[in-house]
Formats: sequence, structure tokens, C-alpha cells
Amino acid sequence: MKKRFIMLAGVCMLAGVLSGCGSGVKSGSAETGAKNESTETVAKSESTEKAETAEPSGKKVINVWAFTDEVPKMIEKYKELHPDFDYEINPTIIATTDGAYQPALDQALAAGGANAPDLYCAEAAFILKYSQGDASQYAAPYEDLGIDVAAKVKEADIAKYTMDIGTNQDNKLVALGYQATGGAFIYRRSIAKDTWGTDDPKEVGAKLGAGSNSWDSFFNAANDLKAKGYGIISGDGDIWHAVENSSDTGWIVDGKLNIDPKREEFLDLSKKLMDGGLHNDTRDWQDAWFADMKGQGSKPVLGFFGPAWLINYVMAPNSGGEKIGEGTFGDWAVCESPIGFFWGGTWVMANKDSEVKKAVGDIIQWITLDTSENGLQYMWANGTMNDAGTKDTVASGTVMSKSDGSINFLNGQNMFDVFVPANKYAKGTNLTQYDETINMYWRDQVREYTAGNKSREQAIKDFKQQVADNLDVTVE
Amino acid sequence: MKRKHSGYAKWGYIFCLPFTIAFLIFTLYPIIFTTVIGFTDCKGLGTVKFHFLVDDPFLNFKNILANPSFQKSFRNTIGMWICNFIPQIGLALLLTAWFTDNRNHIKGKGLFKVLFYMPNIITAATVAILFNALIGYPMGPVNDILMTLGITDQPINFQVNKAVARGSVSFIQFWTWYGYTMIILISGVLGISPEIFESAEVDGASRIQTFFYITIPNLKTILLFTLVTSLIGGLQMFDIPKLFLLGGPDNATLTTSVFIYNQAFSGSYLYNRASAASMIMFIIICAASAVLFFTMRDKDEAELEKLTKQQEREYRKMQKERRKSHE
Amino acid sequence: MNNKRGSLILKVIIYVVCVFLAILSIAPFYIMIINATRSTVQIQQHAISLLPSTYMMKNIAILLGKSFNPANGFVNSLIISTGATLCAVYFSNMTAYGLVVYNWRFRRPFFSFIMAIMMIPAQITMIGFYQMVYRIHMTNNFLMLILPAIASPSMVFFMRQYMLPSLSMEIIQAARIDGAGEFYIFNRIAMPIMKPAIATQAIFCFVSSWNNLFTPLVLLTDQKKYTMPIMVSLLRGDIYKTEYGSVYMGLALTVLPLIVVYLILSRYIISGVALGGVKG
Repeated sequence: MKKRFIMLAGVCMLAGVLSGCGSGVKSGSAETGAKNESTETVAKSESTEKAETAEPSGKKVINVWAFTDEVPKMIEKYKELHPDFDYEINPTIIATTDGAYQPALDQALAAGGANAPDLYCAEAAFILKYSQGDASQYAAPYEDLGIDVAAKVKEADIAKYTMDIGTNQDNKLVALGYQATGGAFIYRRSIAKDTWGTDDPKEVGAKLGAGSNSWDSFFNAANDLKAKGYGIISGDGDIWHAVENSSDTGWIVDGKLNIDPKREEFLDLSKKLMDGGLHNDTRDWQDAWFADMKGQGSKPVLGFFGPAWLINYVMAPNSGGEKIGEGTFGDWAVCESPIGFFWGGTWVMANKDSEVKKAVGDIIQWITLDTSENGLQYMWANGTMNDAGTKDTVASGTVMSKSDGSINFLNGQNMFDVFVPANKYAKGTNLTQYDETINMYWRDQVREYTAGNKSREQAIKDFKQQVADNLDVTVE
Repeated sequence: MKRKHSGYAKWGYIFCLPFTIAFLIFTLYPIIFTTVIGFTDCKGLGTVKFHFLVDDPFLNFKNILANPSFQKSFRNTIGMWICNFIPQIGLALLLTAWFTDNRNHIKGKGLFKVLFYMPNIITAATVAILFNALIGYPMGPVNDILMTLGITDQPINFQVNKAVARGSVSFIQFWTWYGYTMIILISGVLGISPEIFESAEVDGASRIQTFFYITIPNLKTILLFTLVTSLIGGLQMFDIPKLFLLGGPDNATLTTSVFIYNQAFSGSYLYNRASAASMIMFIIICAASAVLFFTMRDKDEAELEKLTKQQEREYRKMQKERRKSHE
Repeated sequence: MNNKRGSLILKVIIYVVCVFLAILSIAPFYIMIINATRSTVQIQQHAISLLPSTYMMKNIAILLGKSFNPANGFVNSLIISTGATLCAVYFSNMTAYGLVVYNWRFRRPFFSFIMAIMMIPAQITMIGFYQMVYRIHMTNNFLMLILPAIASPSMVFFMRQYMLPSLSMEIIQAARIDGAGEFYIFNRIAMPIMKPAIATQAIFCFVSSWNNLFTPLVLLTDQKKYTMPIMVSLLRGDIYKTEYGSVYMGLALTVLPLIVVYLILSRYIISGVALGGVKG
């Protein structure tokens, strides 16, 4: 009797478990099925599945992913200018601070479906991942968006590096930037005058060794400034961008970690600045760095390395004023950098699975290839895009040739005189898809070395270790 | 009679079924899947393909165990947990001793309990970012206090100092949990028969003697419970180190959970390595849980036994009565 | 005499320590709330102020201008936490009821099993869980954050401990004799008896679900579906300009509802914590 009961109970339990597995909200079985198929076909079945459930023409929402509100604001402007464009914009903005943007975007792209990004932005530090690297499978060629790429690019005279970076491994253009981001040195006129008796961009440039491709004059100038109680720059982040983008090779060569001699030299430059007390030892994008733009740091600093966007989107809003004479507003000028470099830039791209390709294509064309006075780039370069009247250098040579870069922040100086020639230093050959992450590791270790916490060798060793531990990169 | 019995037994299975199903789908399957991935080459964004590592099935596990960042994260996790747990349990015991001693007549006990426990209820993500803002440089509230009080004349950049960073994470953990521990210990003390304390008082035992010779021995199980649950929680520390200083500076506050997250969901999407690391942590946590399990099991088993017997007795009694009334 | 003075000194020490700890608990939140009403410039000049300023609305405006939508996050968190709490409470009671009321073959092994899995952390199984959810295209689906709550071993444990002494078999037998079905008995008789335990457990389940960062961070990619903690994590900084006042404001908006609810329910919460501890 008892035995029979046990058996019965056993069967009950088993049946319960089995039915649990079977009904398992369907997901259980669907799931194991997918796993058994073991995957080769999964990618394909995924897209067919999507096609079945999709409503090809019904979708009127464009999901936009960006790391600032810049591109979403542009699209708003586009809608304003084109009242018949009846798509709704659904922006997702996640700052690149702390590397938060990439994982979020990656997972949104991978998840697919109706919420997947239709139009997304990538910054110079990671654009290669989306155009040529690990996540390039999601990018749609511009020609598939209904853009006549060859003709338009020629007409707009787009900077070559922008295109090199945005071309995928099948040699198709999948991303373009709207900016050109050649860099210069942006300095305080009053400090230059107090130190060398002049604030003329040519003469100050000469003091810093403009175009000399060496840091020697720069350090001489730093010592002049130190004698007067000034720093030359705010922190090591300021020269980093000049160092990073002037190097000949990138972080990864043939799948292996590679430390370019110029980037390795950053250790020594940084140490020299630190030991000499030539800067305020701030970190870029942190409070103390912004304070130096207002002239409220622990000692006044001469200036910052940067492209035109740094002036408009970072320095001007942090200068403590909006008119000449307020805060440091108007006390600035731009001169050529001792070492040519470029920094940043935003590339826009479309999802190949997007159901609103045509609409996305229209927007992308307006942002990156339209050279008319109603095109984004003209408005962008001439300050007619927004009320603040900010100006920036743009990727189209055609647009640049008919634009004027005089701004009050530089006390009327035409910044394009300096920035446009600097664009020749911009190149895509030293970028890699993991730059954002690797740069973070590198700069942390350099900081450890300059702070005296580690030896030079140890810092390099730890850097290599971190790359090996966290990324799929071979380290020797 | 037996048949009747099993007729109700069926309902036992039915009532436990939803739990079992949910457990199978949302816990057991992911555990198995995670383990499986640990033996494969599954990596890369949006990958669902994988192949088993035939040549060296334990490659990922070896990789992780030999991975200096993982080792460091493990040391950090344990170190920060110890630095949080010792002061936490110490303060909680002290407060417990004060609050439960009737000779003290503390007013506002209730209010103090409410306030001490409050940080525990607040979202850890918020706490992490709030503290990050508090130690801001050059002008955060902490620097403001230090400079106003004249302790320092230059603002201190706390965020780049490893010891301060680790200490802060431990402090935040301590700050969020000591109230919880205290309340648990107090309830444990209240569970001790008051006669023991009374007789101790009659015997002229001092407060300190009472505490060490009566309170602590009687709290043994609860102290062990607190220790193990805190350890398991500590081994999974994620929100605060992740958001406070992102595991930095120089990996000083990197914990194993943050390490696993970084491996799997950023950079190169190394699901396989992350799975291996997860399983290693899983084994460690299982070992810790086993301790807890065995200390708690005996008591409950006995209880259940007693209850089962009692139920059976009642059931038989009822059956008998029913039969009687039928007859 | 000496003894009396000694206990007076002790009392003073106790009050000093307690007041200090109380300040320690309140101060960060006080600074946060005050700074939420101050402008970034004021905060940069003096990060601490005892008195609020007048920039509250401006800070809110800046915050909303950065596509930070606390109302949206609030609703999402509310849906997930409520759903998870309902699932956890109802099904845990059901399981506990199955364990307490019925005498079945595997009752004891099943209970031992529940105790054994009590400590399995969700984080550890996350890779497998993510891969599973990703394959069935359920990322961004709240159900994936709600349904796992059905299997909450520690709550089953707690409910069982509470049910053992408070649910008498006589009532159940009486109801059966009246012809009530088993589910009817569970829903109408057992659940009301469990009310006090349900109340405390529901609060904890709700709070821990509300505060969970890891799982939503991995599963949710659609900004419209972000929960409160994810939104908070984005407050770490807008790279182009640091707006301190609005960061504090964002933090305050996420914390204030919790603090208010806590202060209202504190009595139950504290006794709930105490109850939970005794189970050891």
C-alpha cells in the first residue's frame, strides 16, 4: 500500500515537472529549440521572423540614439524646416561619460525589434567599432538609404578622413560626420600679453612652436609662464588628445596591442608637466577642468588644446559669461598647435534593419551632405542653427569655403583661419574600435605614474594587463 | 484511509507547482546555461552561436583564475567587505547592548531605530552617486566642510586616492547596513528569556558581564546568520562600486560583480569568460550558503517533524470521529 | 553615588553617539535636498548650505531638458515592483501553504531544497538568463523582470515559518466539510490569516525590486522602459556641462518618494526587519 503511494506520488511529481517543462510559458521549449539548431541559422531566422511581424510602411517613429542632444536637436530643426516630414522622433540620449553609451547602444542594436535604433551616432573614439569592427553588421550602407553617395560626396567636397572612417569592410560608405575636427591651441589673451607682451595668434603660436612637430618650445613657453605664476594647460588630458591623434599607429595592430612611441612618450610629457608644476593637474570633463575655463582654478592657465567644437560647446558655456568682458568670455584666441592633431567628431549612421530607411536617409543626407544654405552644415558653420549662434567647422569643404568663423568668444577672431588648415592633420588610420576603453586604461595608468604611485615600467605592465584581462585583444 | 490521504497530497504538488516551474525557467535553466557557456567560445556582441572548447574545456576557467584583474577584484571584494562588516557588527552590538538594557531608559529609541535603518531603504544607485557628488573635487560638500573647519586649506581630490576610494565604499556599505544588523540583533536579544537577565541582575552582574556572558552566547545563531548573509551579499557588491567610482581608481574598487559585468556587457562581450567567473563565484557562495543551511536546518527539521506528527494525529482523530458519526 | 554618576556619563555618551549617527543618516539627504534648490554656481562656491535657495524650478527645467524623465521611470519602476511583489507574495504563500497544509511524499525534501536554493543570487545566473531572454526576443519586456519573482525561496521560507503556528488545521477541515474547494480555502481563509506577514514581506519585496539595478540594466535597452535606478545611473554626468543643481534634483526626485513612504510605514518596516531576523 505504502509502496504504491510512493510510486503514485513519484509519477505525480514527475508529471508535474514535465508539464512544467513542456508548458514552460512556451519560452522553455522555443528556447531549447533555438539552442539545438545550434545557431548557424539563428541569425537568418531572426531577420525573417522580424519581417513577418513587421508592418513595413506603418511605422512612423524614428528611434534616434545619441550621446548628446546635438543630433536630436538637428532632427527637430529638420522637422521644422520640412513640415511634411511626419515622422515622430524618439530620442535616446546617453552620455559617453564613463563609457556608458556604447554598451547601451550595443545591446539595443543586438536586441532588435521595434525599439531598435533606426539612426544612431558614434564618436571618433568608437566609430570604427560600428563602421568596421564588432558592431559593423548593423550598419546600413548610405546607398541603401536612397542617397546618391558618389555624386553627393563630390559635390560637398567631404573631408577624406571622415569618409575613410565611415567606410565598411565591403568598401561601402556607412557613416559620415558633419564636423571636421582639426585641433588648435586656444589661449587666454590676457595671460599671453602678461607673459610675452603680445596676444597675436602668430606670435603666441611661434612661442609655443606652432607646426614644429616637437614639444620643446612648448615646454620653454611653459617655464616662461611658470615664472609669472601661470600654468600652461589645465591637466594632462589637454595634451593627451594632441598626442593620441598625432601618433602614426593605433592601439591595435593585427589584433595585438600596440603602444605607439608617441603615445608612450605621453608618460614622460605628463610626468614633466606634473613634476614641473606646469599645470593644475585637473582631469578633463571634471569640475576643476571647467573651473580653469572660468579662470577660477588654483592658478590661471594659458589655454586648452581642442577643435572648434570645444570652443562652442564646452569653453563658451563654462567661461562664466555671455558677453565680451564677462568672466573670461572674449579673452580667448586661437593659434596653431605645436603638434597637429584632431579630436572627436560625431558620425551618423542607420540601422540596416530599420523599417524607415527612406526617412532616415533623408535626415542623414540633410545632416551630412546637403551644402545649401538650408542644409545643416551651412547653418552649423555659420551659427544659424540655434539662438546661441555657435559656430563649428564642418566636414564639407564646399560649405567651409562660403562660411565665416568670427565669434565674440575669440574677440572677433575668425577661427576658421586656424582650424581649416588644421583639418589636414585629421586621419582615420590611428583609430581602433576599442579606443574609448583602451584610452581610459592608458590614461589611468599614466596618472598613476605621474602621481608617483608606480614606476614607469609597472604602469606599462599594468596597462597591458588590463587590456588583456578585459578585452579580446592579444597582448605580448 | 490511505487513499483519502493521498487524495489531499495531490494538492501539495499542485500548490508547489508554480514555484517549481518558475524556478526551473528563471533560475535552474539560467544556471545550467551559464555553466554551459563557461565551456564554450561564446563571445561578441549579439552572439548566439557557440562551440564547445574541445581541446581544453576548462580554458575559460583557467583564464579567469589566472586573470590578475579577477584576483584583484576578489581581494577587493573581500577586503571591502571585512572593512565594512567588522565596524558594522561592532557598532550594531554596542547599540543593541545600549538599547536593550532597561537600566538605561533611553528616550526616542523608536526614532533612532527609524533613522539608523533609513539608509538601507534608499536605492543603492542613488546612494553611490550621491556620495560621489559629496566627495566632489574641488568643491564638494565634504571638501567644503573640511576647509570651513580648517582641517585642510587645499581641497583634497578624494576620487584619485585608492585607500580613500576603498574606504568610502566600505563606509557606504557600513552606513547602509548597520541599522539593519542592529534591529536584527535587538530582536534576537528580545527573544532571549527575560528571566535570564533578571537573575543576572539579582546576582549583581555588571552590564559588561551580562553582555559578554549572557547576551552574546545566546545570540550565536543570529550572529552567524548575519555573518553569512552579509558575506553572501558582500560577494555580490555591484551597485555601489559600479556607480561610485566605476571600480577605479586603478581598479581599487573593482569587485567581482563589476568585473563580471564588464566582461560580459562592455568592451569585447566575453560571455564565456564572464560565465566562468560567475560559476567560480557561484561555487564560493554555495560554500558559504552551505554553512548557513546546516546551522538552520536542524532546528527546522525538528520543528517540521513535530508538526507532521501532530497533523497526522489530528487527521486520524478526525477520521475516527467521522467514522464514528457515520456509524 | 559613584555608580549613579557612572550611569549618567554612560547616558550622555549614548545620546551623543545616537545623535551623531542620526545626523549621519540624515545629513547626506539633507545636503541633497537643499542643493537641489540651489544653482550650480552657488554649489560651486559653497557646496554646503543650511538654507534652501530659489532655483528649484530652474533645476527641474534643466533636468527635463536633458531628456531625463523621472515620471516615466517612476511609472516603469512602479509597474515592475508592483507586479513582482504581487507574484512573489501570492505564489510564495501558495507554496508555503502546500508545504504546511498537505502531507505529501516529497514535502520534506522539497522544503530542504527551498532552503538550499535560498541563497542563489540572481547576478550569478545573469549571463545565462540574458542569453535566454535575448534568444526569445524578450529583452525590454517587463514580464522578464516580474515573473522570476514567482520563485522567491526566502519568502516561501518566511511565509512557512509564519504559517506554521498561525494557521490551524481545524479551520481548514471545517471548511472542507462545508464543501469548500482547496483553492477557495487558500484564497479566502489562509490568505487573510497571513495578512501581517504579507504586509511586511510585500514592503521588502517592493523595495528590493524598486532598488534593483543589475537586472534591468542588462535587460532594458529602450529608454522609455528605463527604471528609476537606471535613470539615476545616467545622472553621473552630462559630458558637456556639469549641472550640479539638477543632478542633486534628479537624485532627490528619485529618493523623496521612498523616504516619504518609509517614514509613513516605518513602524511596520522595522518590525518586519525584526521578524525576518528571528528566523535565523
